[in-house]
Amino acid sequence: MKHLIAFLLFGVLLFSCTKDAEIAADGPAGQSGSVTRFAIQGNYMYVLNMNEVQTYDITNRDQPRLVHRLSTDYGLETIVIYEGTAFLGSTTSLYLLDITTHPEAPGIISTTNRVELLGFSHCDPVVVKGDYAYSTIKVIANVCGSIGAESALLIYDISDQSRPILVDQRQMNIPNGLGYKDNYLMVCDEGTDAVEVFDITDPHSLVDTEIFIPVTDPQDLIISGNRMIVSAPTSFYLFDIQDVQHVKQLAVISR
Amino acid sequence: MRFLFPVVLFMAVWSAACEKAEPSFYGGRGKRPVYVAPDDLKVIKSEPPRNQISESGTIFLKDTLFFILDRYQGVHVFSIRDTAHTTNLAFISIPACLDFTVDGNYLYADSWRDLVVVDITQLNAVRETGRLTGVIQPPLYPLHYSGPFECVDEQKGAVAGWEDSPEDRFQCFSGN
Repeated sequence: MKHLIAFLLFGVLLFSCTKDAEIAADGPAGQSGSVTRFAIQGNYMYVLNMNEVQTYDITNRDQPRLVHRLSTDYGLETIVIYEGTAFLGSTTSLYLLDITTHPEAPGIISTTNRVELLGFSHCDPVVVKGDYAYSTIKVIANVCGSIGAESALLIYDISDQSRPILVDQRQMNIPNGLGYKDNYLMVCDEGTDAVEVFDITDPHSLVDTEIFIPVTDPQDLIISGNRMIVSAPTSFYLFDIQDVQHVKQLAVISR
Repeated sequence: MRFLFPVVLFMAVWSAACEKAEPSFYGGRGKRPVYVAPDDLKVIKSEPPRNQISESGTIFLKDTLFFILDRYQGVHVFSIRDTAHTTNLAFISIPACLDFTVDGNYLYADSWRDLVVVDITQLNAVRETGRLTGVIQPPLYPLHYSGPFECVDEQKGAVAGWEDSPEDRFQCFSGN
């Protein structure tokens, strides 16, 4: 109990004194993990809302205006923006949205139909590098008749955005968020309690590096330079990934 | 006889349609919503750092500031400037929040059915600067859960979490 009081007092002191508590207005933009329903580009914010993509004009940053609603199927889960295109992961499809031609009213470029493709549905986040999109799909066993279905990492060739082509897939256990550093793709896998690392030098033929970064129930990750932050249900981990062959754990914050 | 069959069929359909349906229940252990009252729902504020993350959600990195959502409660903010000694800076309390992002000095989040804008220039004194009401459709079921649960009754307020229920009969069921 004494420790708790000391901890709280320490927290209050930090809270009131630290300069870190001020945010520089001109600081860098920042980045999200791969599992989020909110994304911003320029003066527009895109929000996934069940079965629609909402576009907010945030020219006045403190007074957003809802300017457009685009209907989709139900089950939108994640959005990531890459070079003027928004990639949405839904429980049934991967959507590509053009947010460059009319950022205030995005239009659907294409969708993939994962149900037809793999015979099951439930998909998760997406990351994009060059002409390829990497997406995990997580199938919870014994739910909705998906017994025997497999969770997977899917790789799409999106060089023709109107026609994404599945070029490779890997079985995963319970995959979650993902990201990459150079030619290494890092994928959270709750089932194996690790961040699994793939070499994506040739996206048509992933190579499992067998690098295994242990994290209990990893949920999502952010890679920024040589740092990787991995979230877990009640904690987060910091890693130095300068040398991907020899990843160093820097800290675990579990309070 | 030729007319009897349609009449009997009609009677059968009619009586089935008018019969009061027996409510069906899902048995077993289940979840129930934890409600937040409308007045409390609108209170967005800085709090001293919390000493635990209950259920993490969206993460965001802005330079050396790391934001991590605690589902239904708000956003923890850490400094990871010194990776060996991360500092828990503040907790931004946003009731019934399930997602957020950050742009410049503003944090955008959902809060039940509203979209809120929070000025986070001073992490220890954040303030709401904008709110669009009724634009968000929140999930009316427990996330990442399959099983029976007590249906949401919005007359009781907004859902600010889910807990194990002592009941053993439920009218709602989530298949994830």
